[in-house]
Amino acid sequence: MSRLALLFWLILVAATGTAMFVVKYQVQDLEEKIARTAKATVAEQHEIRMLTAEWAYLNRPESLDAMNRRYLSLIPVATRQLHAGIDDIPLRPAPPSAEEDLVAAAAAGEPPVPPSAWHKPDAVLEAAEPKPGVVPAVARPGSGPSVKSLDDLFARISASR
Amino acid sequence: MTISPRIDDNPCRPRHFKPPPCAPAVADDGPGKAALETCRTRLLVTAALFACVFLVVALRVADIVLLAGGAAESHIGRFRIPAPPPPGRADIVDRNGKLVATTLDTPSLYANPRQILDAADATMKLKAVFPHLDRDEISAKLTSDKSFVWLKRLLTPQQQFDVNNLGVPGFQFEHEQRRFYPDGDLAAHVVGYSGIDNTGFAGIERNLDEVLKEHPAPLQLSLDLRLQFILREELQQVIDDFTAKGGAGLIMDVNTGEILAMVSLPDFDPNHPGAPDPSNPELTPADRMFNRITLGVYEIGSVFKIFTAAMALDAGTSSMTSTYDAVHPIKIGRFTIGDYHGKHRALSVPEILAYSSNIGAARMALEAGVQRQQDYLTRFGLLAPPSIELSEVGSPHFPANWREVNLLTIAFGHGISVTPLQAAVGASALVNGGILHQATLLKLPPGYVPEGRRVISPKTSEQMRKLLRLVVEHGTATLAAAPGYVVGGKTGTAEKVLGGHYAEKKLLSTFIGVFPMNDPKYLVLTMADEPHGNKQSHGFATAGWTVVPATSRIIQRIAPLLGVRPVDESAPEIAQALTIPSLQGKKIEAY
Repeated sequence: MSRLALLFWLILVAATGTAMFVVKYQVQDLEEKIARTAKATVAEQHEIRMLTAEWAYLNRPESLDAMNRRYLSLIPVATRQLHAGIDDIPLRPAPPSAEEDLVAAAAAGEPPVPPSAWHKPDAVLEAAEPKPGVVPAVARPGSGPSVKSLDDLFARISASR
Repeated sequence: MTISPRIDDNPCRPRHFKPPPCAPAVADDGPGKAALETCRTRLLVTAALFACVFLVVALRVADIVLLAGGAAESHIGRFRIPAPPPPGRADIVDRNGKLVATTLDTPSLYANPRQILDAADATMKLKAVFPHLDRDEISAKLTSDKSFVWLKRLLTPQQQFDVNNLGVPGFQFEHEQRRFYPDGDLAAHVVGYSGIDNTGFAGIERNLDEVLKEHPAPLQLSLDLRLQFILREELQQVIDDFTAKGGAGLIMDVNTGEILAMVSLPDFDPNHPGAPDPSNPELTPADRMFNRITLGVYEIGSVFKIFTAAMALDAGTSSMTSTYDAVHPIKIGRFTIGDYHGKHRALSVPEILAYSSNIGAARMALEAGVQRQQDYLTRFGLLAPPSIELSEVGSPHFPANWREVNLLTIAFGHGISVTPLQAAVGASALVNGGILHQATLLKLPPGYVPEGRRVISPKTSEQMRKLLRLVVEHGTATLAAAPGYVVGGKTGTAEKVLGGHYAEKKLLSTFIGVFPMNDPKYLVLTMADEPHGNKQSHGFATAGWTVVPATSRIIQRIAPLLGVRPVDESAPEIAQALTIPSLQGKKIEAY
């Protein structure tokens, strides 16, 4: 009985001892790892300081100015560019309705306007100029009967005669 | 304890059986029993004590293992990541957080010559990395029998990498702290510089040395490096165009006293404070470190008329409609006070400012008197050194014995020298509603308005706005009109005093501009030292032709950055706020 007890205690001692050594070495490893990480962190922080300084150096107005001259040629915003806000820009005027034009022309007995002249840039520009007191025309989608094709349009015109 | 011997006479007892010493099989009476009782009690007490101690140990173990007691935590705590080594000196950043000055851990190269195997080879290799080093010097150092020689201080990371790549045994690095100014000379006079031992020698570095050493958090300046760059570029342009000796400029927030930009040219590179200027080697380091804004004191000439006018209007000795005879020059003693832009007629107060009439200003001051002039100039902070976070601060020069002749000349800015900073602070107070705020180089929290000191009434301040606007609209500073920004201001062209005499050809041209005049926000001061007329300026070197156009360009460039939107200057509410009723219908001819 006492021999069994002795054996039990000896095994316990051996197991505890082994466990203690294993844990001790694990702790040592971990401590080394922490120390290494801490050192690396400090090195990294130094690196960050260095890079921040370099970033500031590369971003100094003088060098940005030189880079701009070389690659972008941007110039300071002129005062006149700042006078108008977004509210001052007029909405795009309604495109002249092709059908209405043609109808009007036909009514006046004029020959139909060739399709190449339908788009009148001058007229559009004129309309874009905001006139005092005149609210610019606003595009109204779907106003008037829609025209599906040129043939359709010609058919309608001939029908209206 | 004694145990009474007893004979065990049991024939059947096992041989190895020994009766327990303290447990008599038979309780007998007599002295033996008493002894046994004592023994038991003692054993019990001891056992109880041990049990207690073991209980404590067991509880503690349970605490540590199961409940994560305090000891375990403190053990981990020892290995907390160490804070980065203090940078030695706090960083300095501008109002937008951009780095202005920082401390870097910089490697310096040294060698242990005893470990160097082949000095000639090492010298050759090192020369490849540092072409500027002297070959013989390195060679001598590497063959000496010392165990430590410096080879090169303060390397860049690239150089360190290159030296490591050489693979020469015996080359080693020692880390030193070095102050680095990424923007070089851009804000040199404000930031100043500090030496290798981390002591500030100039500027903020010197004045706030203790703060920078003790508080690791970055120090935020009120400067905006973008504005600083624009101001410096335009001033350099003025110096180049008019072959001036120097220039200075200041942008400040009139409502808080924050300085957004401060430039003094020529300037220096704080990374190499003593190095000669490659473009002008004749300039001494002292010339380049001289801060014209805070240390230089100048007779700023006609700019002073705004203080005279503010005094006369606030004290009530003049009104906007008072007129003064400007036909005849004033003769006092051996002095004659005349006008540069002579009109030879009676002028009202607004006209005196617009035409910059010395005679008119002198007469206004004469009505107010010496005492009032001293009082008001003291109030405007013009008779005491300016207050600012810099050590380079100049004291104003003014006559100790303030006589009538001084009264007259000081009225138009002669016979008194102040720093441009003082003039800017005083002018801010005139336009911002009458509150004087001390200038500061440190950023104030957004929306915070520091406590100021009332120096003139809000009504006088409103009149001053109208007068300054008039000068730009119709007076000597028409070229300052940055359309849309409602600029107002006052020019000043003074002859410099050299050896006790006014030197006619050596001018100091100054302009103080404020915008937008209907609701003053920012003040721009520009100054050119000894400008010379050119073709563009029709030969003039006066403020109106030199620094005034530059101020117009500066305002047009900085206003978008400051969030000031251009307005229609002819809009009724603006025109209304800045029109001088007494001049309605009168023609003011422009220059």
